[in-house]
Amino acid sequence: MFESLKRKWNRKHLSDERFAFLFDEIPGDEVVVFDCETTGLDPQKDHIVSIGAVKIKGDKILTDQALHIFVQQKKGIAHESIKIHQIRNCDLHDAVAIEEAIESFLHFIGNRILAGYYLEFDVAMINKYTKKMFGITLPNKQEEVSALYYDKKISTIPQGNIDLRFDTIVANLALPRLKAHDALNDAIMTAMMYLKLKHTIKLK
Amino acid sequence: MIALLETLKGYPPFSFLEDAAFALIERNAQIAYYPNHTVLIEPTFLFDKLFVIIKGMVEVNNDDELIDVYRTHDAFGGIELLKNQASLYQYKVTEELICYEINKEVFLKLCEANKAFKDYFFSSIVERLEMLKEKREYAAMSDLMMARVDKSILHNACVLASDMPIIDSLKKMEECNATSVIVKNPQGYGIVTDADLRYYILYQQSQELHRLSDIQSYPVISIEEGELLFNILLLMTERTIKHLPVLDKAGEVLGVLELIDLLSFFSNQSHLISAQMEKASTLEAVTDAAKRVEIMISALHAKGVKSRYIAKLVSEINKKMYLRLFEMIFPKSWHEKCTLILLGSEGRGEQILRTDQDNALIFEEGFLPDNIEEITQTFILTLDSIGFPRCSGNVMVINPQWRKSIDGYKNDIDSWIEGQTHEGFINMAILFDSVAIAGEKNLHTQLRGYLIEKMSGYQSVLTHFAKPIEHFESALGLFSQFVTGAKEHQNEIDIKKGALFALVHGVRALALEHAIEPTNTILRIKALNNIGFMNKEDASELIEAFEVINTLRLHSQLEKSAKGKKIDNYISIVEIGKLERDLLKEAIKSVHSFKKMISYHFHLSMVG
Repeated sequence: MFESLKRKWNRKHLSDERFAFLFDEIPGDEVVVFDCETTGLDPQKDHIVSIGAVKIKGDKILTDQALHIFVQQKKGIAHESIKIHQIRNCDLHDAVAIEEAIESFLHFIGNRILAGYYLEFDVAMINKYTKKMFGITLPNKQEEVSALYYDKKISTIPQGNIDLRFDTIVANLALPRLKAHDALNDAIMTAMMYLKLKHTIKLK
Repeated sequence: MIALLETLKGYPPFSFLEDAAFALIERNAQIAYYPNHTVLIEPTFLFDKLFVIIKGMVEVNNDDELIDVYRTHDAFGGIELLKNQASLYQYKVTEELICYEINKEVFLKLCEANKAFKDYFFSSIVERLEMLKEKREYAAMSDLMMARVDKSILHNACVLASDMPIIDSLKKMEECNATSVIVKNPQGYGIVTDADLRYYILYQQSQELHRLSDIQSYPVISIEEGELLFNILLLMTERTIKHLPVLDKAGEVLGVLELIDLLSFFSNQSHLISAQMEKASTLEAVTDAAKRVEIMISALHAKGVKSRYIAKLVSEINKKMYLRLFEMIFPKSWHEKCTLILLGSEGRGEQILRTDQDNALIFEEGFLPDNIEEITQTFILTLDSIGFPRCSGNVMVINPQWRKSIDGYKNDIDSWIEGQTHEGFINMAILFDSVAIAGEKNLHTQLRGYLIEKMSGYQSVLTHFAKPIEHFESALGLFSQFVTGAKEHQNEIDIKKGALFALVHGVRALALEHAIEPTNTILRIKALNNIGFMNKEDASELIEAFEVINTLRLHSQLEKSAKGKKIDNYISIVEIGKLERDLLKEAIKSVHSFKKMISYHFHLSMVG
């Protein structure tokens, strides 16, 4: 009830009718897993550097339709974040303006369910721009992968402390470890976690 | 680029593809997840894509008969797609599968654009072996680059004070057999090499050069111990220097690294160990050099050198080692009255990693020294310290059975032939594979001549000699599936019992029959081909099988050794790749048909 009111409220604020498809009610059978690399951890101050996203349909990760966009930066990327993402300023020559990146992203996700690792942060980063550009926040349903993991894990260790670090989950789910840490590879890793968790009833 | 694709680049057939091909795959491939027990393809179904395993395991079955197992980095479905043929088998996930799926159209496009990629799916066993070696080379480059400088490849430094007269220092240099002098100054080191001496000879008069300090290059370029050899190579080529002092943490000179040794390290460590062995003047120096052999073996194996060449290098080095040990441990008075021989796998020159020691002494008739017990003990203890495990069959000089006069051995041979026991023939086989290493080698030539004379041509005795070939079952069952061991050796096969013994022993029996001199199995096969007993195809097939088995065994032994496990003759059939498994199967099949030929040739079915 409350959710649907919020959704209506959100819809009312949509200022660009080209993106009405985001609010389509008929849900598809696809999920989009995405990840943003940013200049920092504060959605208010920091910017998006790149967005990686893949669709999942059934038990397949559609890497043939993956999205990997780099965003033009007004200021040079700070040293610290280069160390984490290994995206240097010179890697951004194919980059597009943030507005264009957001539009491509919205076309890519449509009204699909979104999934991710600490999705809240990535959604907040996107919302910062959609609000400014179109007056809305992402209306899509969301699934948090670390929460899925938590639910399957908690049944084996009630009241236990569950380590939710990305690498711990990868190791625990016995997934292949990837060296690269860019937005697309992280999205693919997260997609693998998602598929595996969907098939797992209980974790040891 | 997707990191998972990047990993594929290291494995054939994907290692043959260009970047453009990977871009095509990236645009078209999907990652699929299949839970345990999913049936991917049923018999008579058509493949519509190539499967490339990222993680997991797929079993191929034909009516519950296990045909094959695919694991991480294996690809399947290729040949069916290329031939547009329905699957003959059922493909079932037996360990949760994550895989790439490359659709048929893209796969065929890749095949069309890259012949090597396509040919891989049709390639023969021998060709695949070559490709496998290339892959290993790719993986091993980094190991070689990671080697660090340590004391063993350094020359002793000739360190002299800076105020020493040049002429005196040249004498010192001569004494230490050094090619450079490290000059100790009140502050820091300098160096004098051939270039500086040339300068001295030319200008000693005109410039009044007297002391080392007058001609030294100062300060010297040096490095600290533990530096990467690869960095050192860069440094030496960049600064064009041939001598580089290596300092310890306290700044003291440990020794001098010479460019030529460094280069030989990168090309082949064997040269170095050989030289060390020859230079060695103490037991300790011999042991030190011998301990480097295993590092050399892994480096050569990683470079993809055929195991028979590795075996050859190792046995050359071991021969030098035994010669040095003989000279150092056995009293001078013995040297002309006895000979040290190596038997079994060492005698055949086929032992790569140290699996056991087989040695014996032949004495001249009438020579039996008192301190024999003590001397032979010292010898065996030294071998222990180098890391040669003792022979389980007790074929060692500390056993009186294997240190006696030539006539004593001749009596043994007679009684082995008469007794016709399994044990007797095994001893005979061991002795037949012997080579003399040091001392009065003529004793050995006589003894081996006696053995051949007594056996060669005596068909009925040879039949008994060859009989043990039937002792062990083949490692491949009725429908070409592997016959694996029980419990602790689940998914492993004993390659020595399951194939290697039959091959080696069969060849040995034929060699004895035809009085063939060499002890090495490959040389024996070649000799059998030369005398017209075996045709060229059969001979090369047998050699190839021998090579495959030894390479895989060496690979598995090196891995065990790296993990600190005891090395044995077991090969895991699930840890090796699809390619290796196929090769192994072919090799075991070749051995199997050879075994049949031997049975028929020696009429083995007629004796019990």
